[in-house]
Amino acid sequence: MDRGRPLTVAVLGAGLIGVDLVTKIRRSPLLECRLVVARDDQARGLRMAAALGCRTSSKGIDALLDSSEPYDIVFDATNAMSHAEHWALLQPTGTRMIDLTPSMIGTMVAPTVNGAEAGRHANVNLISCGGQAALPVLHRLAREISAEYIEVVTTAASRSVGRATRMNLDEYIETTRAAVTRFTGVADSKVMVNLSPAQPPSPFRVAISLLAPAADPERVSVLVEEAAVAMRRFVPGYRIKVCSVADGVVFVAVEVEATGDRIPHYAGNLDIINAAAVHVAERHPAPLGGRT
Amino acid sequence: MTPRESSGTGCTSEADPPRIHIHDPTLRDGHHAVRHRLGREQLRGYAAAADAAGIPVVEVGHGNGLGASSLQVGRAALSDASMLEAVREALTTSRMGVFLLPGWGTSSDLRQAIALGADVVRVGTHCTEGDLAERHLDFLRDAEVEAHAVLLMSHMAAPERLAEECLRLVGFGASAVGIFDSSGHYLPPDVSERVAAITAAVDVPVIFHAHNNLGMAVANSVAAVRAGARIIDGCARGFGAGAGNAQLEVVVPVLERLGYATGVDLYRLLDAADFAERELMPAPPTIDSVAVVSGLSGVFSGFKTRVLDIAGREGVDPRDVFFELGRRQAVAGQEDLIVEVAEELRRSSGPPSTPVAAVPGGAP
Repeated sequence: MDRGRPLTVAVLGAGLIGVDLVTKIRRSPLLECRLVVARDDQARGLRMAAALGCRTSSKGIDALLDSSEPYDIVFDATNAMSHAEHWALLQPTGTRMIDLTPSMIGTMVAPTVNGAEAGRHANVNLISCGGQAALPVLHRLAREISAEYIEVVTTAASRSVGRATRMNLDEYIETTRAAVTRFTGVADSKVMVNLSPAQPPSPFRVAISLLAPAADPERVSVLVEEAAVAMRRFVPGYRIKVCSVADGVVFVAVEVEATGDRIPHYAGNLDIINAAAVHVAERHPAPLGGRT
Repeated sequence: MTPRESSGTGCTSEADPPRIHIHDPTLRDGHHAVRHRLGREQLRGYAAAADAAGIPVVEVGHGNGLGASSLQVGRAALSDASMLEAVREALTTSRMGVFLLPGWGTSSDLRQAIALGADVVRVGTHCTEGDLAERHLDFLRDAEVEAHAVLLMSHMAAPERLAEECLRLVGFGASAVGIFDSSGHYLPPDVSERVAAITAAVDVPVIFHAHNNLGMAVANSVAAVRAGARIIDGCARGFGAGAGNAQLEVVVPVLERLGYATGVDLYRLLDAADFAERELMPAPPTIDSVAVVSGLSGVFSGFKTRVLDIAGREGVDPRDVFFELGRRQAVAGQEDLIVEVAEELRRSSGPPSTPVAAVPGGAP
């Protein structure tokens, strides 16, 4: 989409997600990172953002509200509780938000599933890293295969999971479950989260099971690979590790390796949600303010 | 001292003997051994027997805790609510315990368990990830429910690290903290060193939970008590994941003989254990070959039934699966790795040559 100028963006939160997001935004010709804000306890992340060449502030949401400069998009990489407050304060300013916390407030979007509708919503929620990895496969399968029950188990390397995510496991689970139901129509589902301290760390992994007694193994394998191909267009490290159908259970294990960024290869959880954030932002319509 | 009160000998101290609190997860950990399929009458019957023996805490639930019924680790016969209702009805003096792994169960599960009468909640995390419990310990503090925090797979961390994690958990509000030997990997000196480090770091009671893969569950529990642990887990007939836990009706009289007081009635305890053997399990846990390998490889005991199922399906040796899982440092909850490991072993070994049925331990 030709806008004549990049969209101006700001990032709230300078934890593990926020810092990687800044890296990806700076690589996008369509986005211009004007400000990264955090609270004092994320000073290290702010220093990293500054080292990447961004203006930074440790005044939290106030730094955005005080600014005379309107931002086209604000990414929220804080936590689910804070997002409610951030949205309440920013909504009246006309800024669009892309929320990377599992707050369940904005419209849930996974790019290869319903990315096309993202531009219609002022607040887009990116569900969770596990949701971003599982939903493309689940959505593709559920269109053709009737499932009674769906289960998603995510395992992230301990070092790639920051404090906000650790405090938000309940929200992570509830939001991801809600998204599974919304995008598959299957009401009975379960989501679980593991952290792995293994050394060297293993890549981000999402295990997906569907109770689907009538599933045809060959068709399942075709659909799963189609979903993976679509994902690799913007998350090159997205791989299907296992795809099996046995005893009426479809089992798919996805691994996501981070590629081409400063984050370590195992941090596919950060890579996939941040890639989704940039993907959605780059396809946003012209700024609400109508400037060109 | 009557035989019914204690089998203790040689305890002649004038002072009150040190008190050990017995925590009984038979109806939770035992679930691993029967694919989480205990029914209402079994739960009610054992809970009543444990209550009659004066066991302070009777823990109940899916083997992996509240909210954990799943394809990943096994679907329970009963809902969490049905299990808790059955046990609650049967308890008169014993308190009801539940277990929660953050990431598996959520605060909604805790809210339900408290409403159904849970008195003691154990929040467990992998041994290096104690901060995952902060949110739920906060919740339990607000709800004014007794909260213990326990570190799973504790052989995977050094004593100092475990002590640090336990201190942090006390800061989050845990009123007791401790370690699980989830793989049954420890030998007594390993336990002494770790429990001593934790006891030195915290001023709340320290918990130890044994598994018997290497035949050390009772000896390890004794080592824990001698190093300062004051809450000891035991299961009737050892009913628990893999090779089972410390055998409750053995560990209690052993501690009494060593001069510790448990307040548990010996004859009623033995009756409860007899009930458990008769009504809860096809056979008491034994240290079969797969359990030895599971203990040596340091893999979560609860993996056993799924490893046997999947190794059988793929035609590979379950012992190889355990050692490979150990090499990958799989933690409790990562059962999804089993399929991948078994498939890779099958592909790398060509057509199966060893009859898998030759490996004992196929019974659930």
